[in-house]
Amino acid sequence: MPVLELREITKVFPGVIANERVSLELEKGEIVALLGENGAGKTTLMNVVYGLLSADGGEILMDGEPAKIKSPRQAIDHGIGMVHQHFMLVEPLTVTENIVLGREPGRLGVIDFKIARERVIEISQRYGLKIDPDARIEDLSVGMQQRVEILKALFQGARVLILDEPTAVLTPQEVRELFGVVRSLVDEGLSVVFITHKLEEVMAVADRIVVMRDGRVVGETRPEDTDEIGLARMMVGRDVVLRVEKPVSTCGDTVLEVSDLHADDERGLEAVKGVSFSVCGGEVVAVAGVSGNGQTELVDCIVGLRRPTGGTMHLKGKDITHASARSSIEAGVSHIPEDRHRRGLVLEFDLAENLILGDHRTPPYSTRGLLHPKAVTTMARKRIDDYDVRTPSEKVIASNLSGGNQQKLVVAREIGRDPELLVAAQPTRGLDVGAIEFVHRQILDERAEGKAVLLVSLELEEVLSLADRILVMYEGRIVREFTADEADEETLGYYMTGGGGVKLDDDARQAGPIESGGDA
Amino acid sequence: MLGDIITPDLFASAFRMATPLALAAIGGTICERSGVVNIALEGIMLTGAFFGTAAVLATGSPWFGVLMAMVAGVVISAIHAFASVNLKADQVVSGTAINLLALGVTGFLMERWYGHPGTTDPIKTLGPILRLTAEGGGFLGEVWRWVNGIFLTHTPIVYITVLIAIFAQWAIYNTRWGLRLRAMGEHPRAVDTVGVNVYRGRWVAVLMSGALAGLAGANLTIEQVGSFTENMTNGRGFIALAANIFGRWTALGSYGASLLFGLADGLQIKLQILRDVIRIPPQFFLMLPYVLTVVVLAGVIGRAVAPAAVGEPYEKKG
Repeated sequence: MPVLELREITKVFPGVIANERVSLELEKGEIVALLGENGAGKTTLMNVVYGLLSADGGEILMDGEPAKIKSPRQAIDHGIGMVHQHFMLVEPLTVTENIVLGREPGRLGVIDFKIARERVIEISQRYGLKIDPDARIEDLSVGMQQRVEILKALFQGARVLILDEPTAVLTPQEVRELFGVVRSLVDEGLSVVFITHKLEEVMAVADRIVVMRDGRVVGETRPEDTDEIGLARMMVGRDVVLRVEKPVSTCGDTVLEVSDLHADDERGLEAVKGVSFSVCGGEVVAVAGVSGNGQTELVDCIVGLRRPTGGTMHLKGKDITHASARSSIEAGVSHIPEDRHRRGLVLEFDLAENLILGDHRTPPYSTRGLLHPKAVTTMARKRIDDYDVRTPSEKVIASNLSGGNQQKLVVAREIGRDPELLVAAQPTRGLDVGAIEFVHRQILDERAEGKAVLLVSLELEEVLSLADRILVMYEGRIVREFTADEADEETLGYYMTGGGGVKLDDDARQAGPIESGGDA
Repeated sequence: MLGDIITPDLFASAFRMATPLALAAIGGTICERSGVVNIALEGIMLTGAFFGTAAVLATGSPWFGVLMAMVAGVVISAIHAFASVNLKADQVVSGTAINLLALGVTGFLMERWYGHPGTTDPIKTLGPILRLTAEGGGFLGEVWRWVNGIFLTHTPIVYITVLIAIFAQWAIYNTRWGLRLRAMGEHPRAVDTVGVNVYRGRWVAVLMSGALAGLAGANLTIEQVGSFTENMTNGRGFIALAANIFGRWTALGSYGASLLFGLADGLQIKLQILRDVIRIPPQFFLMLPYVLTVVVLAGVIGRAVAPAAVGEPYEKKG
């Protein structure tokens, strides 16, 4: 008999069917991966199971008995625990306080912190999840915080544990540790639902894979019966090219010319230390590097959001070193920013308004300071169509779109403007395979049209599959340049982490006087 | 001259003046810890002061007046709770509305019930609990005179307030209620997902702040002044809010900060009396508590970290 059984769960949001008669079974000691693209309805389904949302139809059974779950409290009472994608931890409180919250041991309303602490230690030892019970959440790493979330569910007596996109925020090392933890939980008799859109994780950890698409279960399989390509096909509903093929680059005129560029970061420390390179038309140049090595500042300078402290930049021969964001757009630079929520979109605006940003001064969309709604609407509808943004209409608020569709919207605006240079900073971060494939194809289309593309990415696979040339950035400098066929992940990783005898003498000299000044 | 200013009396008045501030500030602490901003403290205090006085005038019993002041505080704060928790209104707007409402309602009822604006008839007040003689000579006699003067000459609510501050501090950090209170002001959804009712928790917190601010009003009228005057709270609710921030959203911190404001108030009165000697216009001394408030809020104490979710209505999902 399954521990948890869902029978024909239906959940409707205004205008969208998030779950349509979804059925699912989970056996004791089993890891089921719930796989699907962003917006396929995985999280909605699990929020129904956890009592955060109420279903419009269907029923939930625990150990074969119908279970009424109308609130998280009832879910907890039935032995269901959930680790949310965005952690439900109270940052200033301690690990122990967070774990016992809602089920505090004690008498007459007074919490017995000694017992609470002992129980936390006991559970953490039993499942091999080491933790400092007195640490404050805000002082813990993300991986540790996730561990607290799992402990919290165990403390509440969970037999079924739902993990919602648990690896999204983890480093590769932490992901391996998490997989170990999940296996030991299952060995102890728990059952786990693992929500994800990452194929390699599913293959690594799941006993059984349930694939969802557009709110329905579209297939079920086991890792040994399939491979990543097969899974991707089930998930997206068509063949997916995981690695794109591209024709040989036909390098045209030089579009972007950067020489000896210097720039500071927010704290006033030099982040870009003399970078020179060029990008020509019909070429994708990728900047590879570990996050925080000056890529963000470099991109900001090129798109006019940061003032360089030295050096020059030219776009098709025109000096753009001190161009503002506006004149940079007018000169033909488009920018897909790395943080689509903070910089790419105004989440409270509707899609048409978002699409017009940056072009809001240009005819035919506006003349003499007045917008022309008809022209804007026509343009918005066409872009939404061309770039396959899935939405009922252009009047929808941007925050209501799934992450993949939001990114398509940004791509639609920036590429739709028909730029000379496309600067794409981590254009596929957080996207699922279908959306990644789409964005990659758009970037290569630009290249085929003879446009210049500067790609900044932390994903080596992306860098290797898209770029004609790869610049490795480390500590604010370009330490190595490769052509696409010279490079592989290992070599890139080696140079990205400071291998290859990078000279840092300059830094040592700069740091010297400051240190001695501090001592004196 | 310094000897005329630094007297047991000055410190005693600090405790006295601190009492209404501290009560309201602790109310503010509890309310804001739950995630609801309460700038209505001023209006709630005023409401408590009025209805407390009215109850004493009607029955002649000061303790009944104290009770009614708290009940009135709870009733009017229920408006704030309903608006900010259920209707998810902007909490600053709701608080401001209550302040205006309190001013209007007390002024209106004053005319209706007593036939004139301004001040009510004097009421029977609560006097000091202990009335010890401060006699005796020598060093010990002097010490006794100070201890008695500062600590032992107060009315009941002054002592009750000290107990409330200590108890609230303990409860916020040691009880189930306190842990949930602190958590819901930081991350209400986290509290909801472990099955604790955030709406109910916030309601309770707002009503408690109403009872405490009402009690503050009772202290003003039934212990200190002995009658009700229109708008007699005179900004104390806002100073209490500052004391709560100064005290970093803790009950004892609120009490300590209120003592400082109380001392400034006491000093101000002293200096006014001595204005002929020191030749500074009394208005400057009147400014003292308010200037102190501004200085405190301008961040002299360093950055105070408010509860993360304060002021944000909590919305359950679909």
